[in-house]
Amino acid sequence: MLLSVENLDVCYGHAQVLHGVSMHLNEGELVCVVGRNGAGKTSLLRTIGGFMKPAGGTVDFDGQRIDGQPLEQVALSGLKYVYQDKRVFGELTVRENIELAAYPTQVGLDEAIAKVVDIHPKMNKLLDAKAKGLSGGERQILLIGRALIGDPKLLLIDEPTEGLAAIIIGEIINILAAMKSKITMVVVEQNLATVSRLADRVYVMKEGVFSREITDAASIADPSTYEDEL
Amino acid sequence: MFSKIEKSPILTLALVTVLFLLYGYATSLPKITDFIIFCIFVIGFDLLYGHMGQLSFGHMLYLGAGAYGCGMFAYHVYPDPFLSILVGVLLGAALAALLGTVVVKTSAAAFALLNLALNEVGAYLALSPLHEWTGGEDGLSLFFESYGWVDFNDSTFRFYFCLGALLLVILVVTAFVRSPYGILLKSIKENETRVKFLGYNTFVYKYVTFIISGAIVGFAGALTSVNLAYCNTSLIAPTRNVEVIFAALMGGAGTVLGAVVGGTAFMTISNYLASYIVRWEMFLGVALLAFAFWFRKGIWGYARKL
Repeated sequence: MLLSVENLDVCYGHAQVLHGVSMHLNEGELVCVVGRNGAGKTSLLRTIGGFMKPAGGTVDFDGQRIDGQPLEQVALSGLKYVYQDKRVFGELTVRENIELAAYPTQVGLDEAIAKVVDIHPKMNKLLDAKAKGLSGGERQILLIGRALIGDPKLLLIDEPTEGLAAIIIGEIINILAAMKSKITMVVVEQNLATVSRLADRVYVMKEGVFSREITDAASIADPSTYEDEL
Repeated sequence: MFSKIEKSPILTLALVTVLFLLYGYATSLPKITDFIIFCIFVIGFDLLYGHMGQLSFGHMLYLGAGAYGCGMFAYHVYPDPFLSILVGVLLGAALAALLGTVVVKTSAAAFALLNLALNEVGAYLALSPLHEWTGGEDGLSLFFESYGWVDFNDSTFRFYFCLGALLLVILVVTAFVRSPYGILLKSIKENETRVKFLGYNTFVYKYVTFIISGAIVGFAGALTSVNLAYCNTSLIAPTRNVEVIFAALMGGAGTVLGAVVGGTAFMTISNYLASYIVRWEMFLGVALLAFAFWFRKGIWGYARKL
C-alpha cells in the first residue's frame, strides 16, 4: 500500500472540517475524491501533502509516517502536490520554474525540461517567457509537468480542470490519462465527466466524511449513479 | 536602453564609474565617497528586502558592527586599513550569523521589529557597557597606516578605493542574484511555502543570504569608519534605518542598479536639499508617500523601461 490515511481529523481553529477520514491507495491507482464545495476535499489533500497538521489520525506514505513532518521532507519523500489555484512563480521564466523544481530532485535541467515538453510539446516555445504571462491551461500543464520532475511516487492534484476552457480541459484529461499507468494519483475533482474517464476508484465526500466509496468500473463510468450524493 | 545596460556587467560598471567620476569631480570627492559607501549599504540591505522580500528595520546594527569592528581593530590592535576593513566585514557577517539563527525564523512584521529591537540593544551596548572599547558617546578617532600611494588619509585615494569597492559589490551581487540561488530567493519572495514543497529547506537559504547581507553592510560600515577616520554611535543609530529603507524604495527594490540609484538620490536630497530648506525631511516624507503609493517600482524600475 502506497498511501494510508487513518481516522484523520482536521480543524481550522475550533471548526472541524474532517471527521475521522480514512483512505488507502495502492501503487498505480488513480483515485478521485468528489464532493461539493466546502465538503473538505482540499483540506484532505492539503493535510496529506503536509501543508496542514491534522488534529488527529495518521498519514503513512510509502511505509513512513509523514503527518507533522516538515514540508520539504514530505516533498523529498516522493509526494508532489499540484495546487488548485494554478499559481506558478510568475516573476520567473518557465525555464526557471522548471530549474527550481529540478534542483532538489537532482535531475539535470535538460532532462527536467524534456519531462515537461514531453507532456505538452508547445511548452518548448514558452521556455523563456515569464510564467505570469501563461494562460490558465499552460500554467496547469507547467505545474503538472513540474510535479513530474524527479519521478515522484504519488501526485496529489487539486481541481485540475477548474476554471479552464473546454478545449483545455480535454487536453488536461488526455495528459492525466497518459500519466495514469505510470504514476499513482489522488485527484480532487468536481467535474464528474473527468472523474468518469479517469478514476479507478471514487471517494464521495460529504461534510467532512467519506459517504461512499465506489469501486466498480460500471458505476464510475456512469456519473448519474453518484451525482445525487454530491 | 537602460535595460540593455543592466544586462551587460561591463556596461553597468562603466556607467556607474563614469557617473560617479563626473559627479565627484563636479561637486566634492569626499562627499561623493559618502554617497558611494551608502550605495553599498543599500545594496546589502536590498539583498534581503528587494530580492528575498524580508524588510529589516534594524540593518544599522550591521553597519555599526562593521564600523566598530574596523574602528576598534585600528584603534586598539593595529591601524592597518585592509586588516581593519576585513575585521569589520567579518564582524558584520559573524553578528548576522549569530542573530540570524533566531531572526531568520521570523517573517514580515516580526522580522522587521526583531531586527529593530536588536539594533536598539546593539546601540546601547556600544554607547554604555562597551564604552571602554567603543569610546561611548565620543566614539573613536582613527588613524590608518599608509603604504606609499596607498594612503587612506588622501581623500582622492579613498574616493577611488570606495568606487572600486562599489563596483566589486555590484559585480558580485549581480552574479549572485542572477545565479540559480538568486532565482530561489525570488521564488521565496513570491511564495515560501511552495518553495518548501519543491523540497527546499528555505531556512538555510534565507540564513545564508542574511549573513551575506550582514557582510556587505558590515563592509559599508568599515568603509565609513575608514572614510571618516572615526566611528561613533551615529553609525549604529536605530533611528537612521529609515534612510536605507527609503533609498531602496526610491531607487527600486529588487534591482542592484536600483539600490545604487536610490542610494545616490537619497544622499543627494539629504545633502543638498538641507542647504536650502530647513525642514527638508518633510519633503522626503512626501516623496516617500509618493513612491510607496504611486511609484512602487522606484526610479530605476521606470528608467529601465526606457
